[in-house]
Amino acid sequence: MSDFLRSYLTVAIFGLVGFALVGAFLGLGRLLRPDKPNLAKTEAYESGVDPTGDMWSQSNIRYYIFALLFVMFDVEAVFIFPWAARLEAYEIFGLIEMAIFIFILLLGLLYAWRKGVLKWV
Amino acid sequence: MLALLAQQVPDFVRPDIDWHAAAPELTLLTFGALVTMMDIVWLEKGRKLTSIVASIGLLATMVPIITLAVDGADRSMFGGAFVVDDYALIMKAVFILTGYVVILLSTNYIAEGDYWENEYYGLLLSSILGMILMASARDLITIFVALELLSIPAYMLATWRKRDLKSNEAGMKYYLMGVFASAIMLYGMSLLYGGSGSTLLTDINESISGPGDPSAVVVLGIIFVIVGFAFKVSAVPFHTWAPDTYEGAPTPITAFLSVASKAAGFVALMNMLFVGFFGRDDVYEPVIWILAALSMTVGNLIALRQTNMVRLLAYSGVAQAGYMLAPLAVAGDVPDSALAATVGYLVIYAAMNLGAFAVVIAVARKTRTAEIDDYRGLFHWAPGLTVAMTVFLFALAGIPPLGGWWAKFRIMGAVIEANTAAGVVMGIFVAVNSVIALYYYARIGVKMWAEPAPDDDTAPVRVPVSLTSALVLTAAATIAFGVLPGLVGEVTKVSLLAGVGG
Repeated sequence: MSDFLRSYLTVAIFGLVGFALVGAFLGLGRLLRPDKPNLAKTEAYESGVDPTGDMWSQSNIRYYIFALLFVMFDVEAVFIFPWAARLEAYEIFGLIEMAIFIFILLLGLLYAWRKGVLKWV
Repeated sequence: MLALLAQQVPDFVRPDIDWHAAAPELTLLTFGALVTMMDIVWLEKGRKLTSIVASIGLLATMVPIITLAVDGADRSMFGGAFVVDDYALIMKAVFILTGYVVILLSTNYIAEGDYWENEYYGLLLSSILGMILMASARDLITIFVALELLSIPAYMLATWRKRDLKSNEAGMKYYLMGVFASAIMLYGMSLLYGGSGSTLLTDINESISGPGDPSAVVVLGIIFVIVGFAFKVSAVPFHTWAPDTYEGAPTPITAFLSVASKAAGFVALMNMLFVGFFGRDDVYEPVIWILAALSMTVGNLIALRQTNMVRLLAYSGVAQAGYMLAPLAVAGDVPDSALAATVGYLVIYAAMNLGAFAVVIAVARKTRTAEIDDYRGLFHWAPGLTVAMTVFLFALAGIPPLGGWWAKFRIMGAVIEANTAAGVVMGIFVAVNSVIALYYYARIGVKMWAEPAPDDDTAPVRVPVSLTSALVLTAAATIAFGVLPGLVGEVTKVSLLAGVGG
């Protein structure tokens, strides 16, 4: 067996141990606990309060749009941090490259702003 | 700790940028940004202008492509990740011209349907930008970025008729299958990178080719990457998204997906096969062979039963992908002929398939559907469209003297030239399937020419100028490629092997 495959053997053993542990505890619990079914026990648990409403509740669409905008800035940051740490080495070349990158992303923000997405309606 | 890390970072070397080589991408990027900026400034007031700016942008992108072709020198940037050679330039020209025809098809369709226009052309341009980048990409990361850049706008364009449930279904299916395919391909790429330690296709080739059997990791990597692109080119058994997506998407976008997007998948596949996997034909040839044989047979057999024109063209597109894969199944034995045959087929296929969709869009302006039964008696109310459709369908079937015949002839030439049992059997598959395909193409011809129009409704249809010019352009190209086969033969005499150095 090659070293490459042998390292996966470790992963496989870890996986098996994981399944075995979960199975063992669940099985042990089943053997030890008393079995007294009750209607209240089948209800959804919401921090101890009585559950209200349907499980299939809708989220407001504006959270989705804000999430999208958040992803835009998040990804921007992922690129900017390492760039900022090494800016001396990149010199003027790196500065211009990053300016182009930010400009294109900024177009997206301007577009969202112009379409009225940033208003909390 | 940080100081230790900083010591390990190699010194930054400013990459040498060949502005001429990058000019097509930069031009298109500028125009894409311009379309977005017009939208930001004028909103809906600018919608009349965007299609014009977008088409000017595409024509402007042709200028550096032509100057690069005249210059003729092979250019390479970023350590070989971005290469401009004859092959890349031909494919870039195909993508740009396809995009131009798609804009001609779109202008009236999108404006009259009252859909968002500014975003439509902006997304179209960014998708085309991804495609021309793909033609130059010789690096796993560049290929993946180009693939996502061309796919993500296409997912959105497929749902552009957002008030229609079918269009939503089209985009959803395309998106889910596309993401699934990307994931599989990315897994294959990670295996290839893990095995070779480099993302450059030439380095990967160095580490995986060579005598002896390939390791299991390399085999898995190659198969996963091919499967990922098989989704993109809608090869059987990864074609299931194509008919539903084609039917639901706006018809100009269907034309775009079935021509440009499919060609982009082939370009990426050829980059991989002829640079990355070159010399590993013992692994990829059987996979491609099975995909090719299945695609043409299954595609043609299902196409026989279709009653909707767009679905028929979708299944015919699956079969055509099979023909284009056929020479790649012998790419290890006759690399030059195989590459030339597939590139030639892509060029001719672009002309004839765009033309067929142009007729579908023109006819639907009156009938509002794409049912094949509505094509009965087309000759009585639209003789020009009937002639054009006959030309495109017979070209797709491969009847001389039209372009499709020459394309198929070269494919037969390549598989026979390989002179292996697999090549000859593939030749038989191509021949038998061409006969099957002729049946359903000719059936439409009979309906158009010989049957009476439904309800004797022979009111003529008004075809706008942009659609007419698209029809004339594609019909002229389809006929020219058939009558002057030297044209496409001369142009597509390309070789990717320079990149391998052997």
